[in-house]
Amino acid sequence: MGRRRRRVDRGAAVGALPEAIAALSRTLPAGPSPEIFRRAKFDRPEAAPALWQLLFRVLSPLSANGASAPAAQEAQVRVVKSELHSQGYPRRALAQLPEDGSRGSRELLLALAWLLARGPLLERLLAQTRVRLGDEIPLCECEALARPGPPVPRVEADGPVDIRQLQWLMGKLRFQWRKLITSQQEQCALLGKIHSYTRGCHSDRSLDHLSVAETELLRDAEGGQQMLRRLESENVRLEAALHWRRQELVFWRWMDTVLGTCPPEASQPTFVPRIPERGAGEWELVARELQALREELRGAAEPRRAAWEARVGGWGPEWSAVQRASREAVGLELAALQRAWERGGAAAQPHGPCRLVKSDAGASGGPGLRAAQVIEVLRSREACLEAVLCQLQRQCRQELARLAGALPGLIWILPPGR
Amino acid sequence: MLPADCSRRLVAELRDALDACAERQRQLERSLRVSRRLLRTWEPAETPAPQPTPAPETSGEAPSPESTPSPQDLKELELLTQALEKAVRVRKGISKTGERHKALSLKSGSAAPSATTASAPSQASGQASCRVSETKPPRGIQQTVVPARGLPECRLLSVRDRTRVGRGSRAIKPGPGPRDQQIPPSAALQAPEAFTLKEKGILLRLPMAYRKAASRNSRLWAQLSSTQTSDSVDAAATAKTQFLQKMQMTSGGPGSGLSAAAVEAEVGLLQTACSLLRRRMEEVLSADPADCMQEYRCLLTLEGLQAITEQCLHRLQELRAAVVGQQLGPWPVGRRPGASLPCGGGTDPIWSPQLLLYSSTQELQTLEALRLRVAMLDQQIHLEKVLMAELLPLVGTQGPHWLALCRAVHSLLCEGGERFLTVLRDEPAD
Repeated sequence: MGRRRRRVDRGAAVGALPEAIAALSRTLPAGPSPEIFRRAKFDRPEAAPALWQLLFRVLSPLSANGASAPAAQEAQVRVVKSELHSQGYPRRALAQLPEDGSRGSRELLLALAWLLARGPLLERLLAQTRVRLGDEIPLCECEALARPGPPVPRVEADGPVDIRQLQWLMGKLRFQWRKLITSQQEQCALLGKIHSYTRGCHSDRSLDHLSVAETELLRDAEGGQQMLRRLESENVRLEAALHWRRQELVFWRWMDTVLGTCPPEASQPTFVPRIPERGAGEWELVARELQALREELRGAAEPRRAAWEARVGGWGPEWSAVQRASREAVGLELAALQRAWERGGAAAQPHGPCRLVKSDAGASGGPGLRAAQVIEVLRSREACLEAVLCQLQRQCRQELARLAGALPGLIWILPPGR
Repeated sequence: MLPADCSRRLVAELRDALDACAERQRQLERSLRVSRRLLRTWEPAETPAPQPTPAPETSGEAPSPESTPSPQDLKELELLTQALEKAVRVRKGISKTGERHKALSLKSGSAAPSATTASAPSQASGQASCRVSETKPPRGIQQTVVPARGLPECRLLSVRDRTRVGRGSRAIKPGPGPRDQQIPPSAALQAPEAFTLKEKGILLRLPMAYRKAASRNSRLWAQLSSTQTSDSVDAAATAKTQFLQKMQMTSGGPGSGLSAAAVEAEVGLLQTACSLLRRRMEEVLSADPADCMQEYRCLLTLEGLQAITEQCLHRLQELRAAVVGQQLGPWPVGRRPGASLPCGGGTDPIWSPQLLLYSSTQELQTLEALRLRVAMLDQQIHLEKVLMAELLPLVGTQGPHWLALCRAVHSLLCEGGERFLTVLRDEPAD
């Protein structure tokens, strides 16, 4: 991989660059050789296809990766362009590259470096494709949301639809959930059995029993070998990632030179802004909610302010010190509240999938979360959500009552069980 | 009938929800299939797996150097073998079962003084002898190590490891020299004894190659996800920031700094903000102020919340303008909207191995049921909001079949589609 390729006239730093790039490409899926990178610096066309493919693998969602045959060149190019654009890639030259994927290797190299610089790209890719050795349970739904399932080709309802179809769909959804919950309970029972039957079999003391994947490895030798191979190749990639981390500085210096060889950007292309309905609908929902909230707050605060002013009007200056203290305290509380969503919430909260381990209740103080704690958190979250749902339903009921009240001569009998 | 665009939107939302549910079901079915298969009787392996801990098919070999048993081990081995012989006799009903079993377990307990679990050896030997009696009796005790299956017997042998009688599975197999026998693989498959996880799961052992790879894997992940602050890391971080700035500068324009993905993320945050603000408002409104001070604080809090809401609305308008005006392109239709995630969801931290300990199946079931319930409630709330936004305006405008519409909307919005109200016409009785 060009590790020993050292140019005589430059120093040792040059030798480190191919090494760093080699480590980078070992970590990436479908990583091209360092030679491709070198050619890309000089914008050689033969380097372009490999880089298009690399970016496609990096940017397309996981489901598309595992799915069918690799997309055609044009499709790959389009996906890469649109994904980079939506992530805010600043250079416009990318959008102007031809769709047959024959040119633009330097621009692609810059795009790759941009993605690497912005966030933990390699770690995220590795985490997406990691071999799951244990029985995992996600603690929060963000992974499920971030990885949408394969897109289902769906026939949209074209014409007007009867409301009974909506009712039918809702009923179907309720039934699906019930089925899901029962299946899940069965799976838990089976897991519990497997964990207890294999107690003490694991070499790692903290794990104590085997997981389904490990037991499957023992049952099915062939599959076990495959898993072992995948695990070993993942180890190779992980080591390459650590190696890259140690050496990436030299890469960034080199990228500065690559950027230097680019001509400055020219004019702006025009984009036709299209806001698909669904996306705008989301914005609408949030806007509507915030507006409703604002109205409610105004309705609550104004009368209180008026009443307060009326009471406090004649009070003396010694009250103002107390007022100031109150204002500060409330200010601090509200600032804390704002931080709760601005910083992305309780980042300290454990996040991401955990490996399930069955152990005795007495094992306290060891590493890992306890199911009881997680259950508590989930219960409070459930209560919260139920309150929100009830409140929404109450709102609807009031609104409908108001609308129905406009029509006299009818008796509305609410369903029982309330 | 509902108007076309409204229908399209609502049907699309409901279908999305159904698809998400179906995807979960699919994954769950996959896991269920695997688990059920594991708990049934295992099929005999076609070819015995090549194991780094030596496969018993190569039973003819002498023990490898690293597993040469010490004299003490050999002695213990001899003791255990004798115990097993006795077990066979017992099994054949030669002597009274009760006392002998006790004696046997005592003996095997003493034969393996360092056994961690006293029950395991006796259980194992009991089971082994069980096998013996059912497989080839004429071959005698050595058959305790006859494989019934390609794989599991490898694990069976390694139970001896735990009782520290032999070092490595090979040590037992040939035993003392004269008893050495070749056991062809075909004979292995003839044994009728089936392997079930319930009975013999405890004897399983992971292959060495896997163990090594797995521990290396978790070590590497731990290294990767640890936040290191060394000079090289800081220097790299600075270099990256500088590179990004240069990229921005050479791009021929100041740029808005806002990408479509960032806009989407912010809208999500504002959604979370809205629910948090609303929750605080309800707390304040439901609290009973005891004295003037508290009343004043309530008032200040409400006004403060109002101000923050205004800010959020303002920010939302800015985002909208950014998408339209600065030509950010189509709004990304990626993740499911409307989820107010407690973890923010925006920053994805590097994965690191974590454990979740549970103590009983009931606990696990409770945990999973709650998790699904929370996901279901999330989805229901989102659907409720969407339906409210689309259907309430329709009820407001009275068209044909208004009563039926009203009744259906009430059931969908207020009862989750589960119950219906009844409408009676109030005819004056005359």
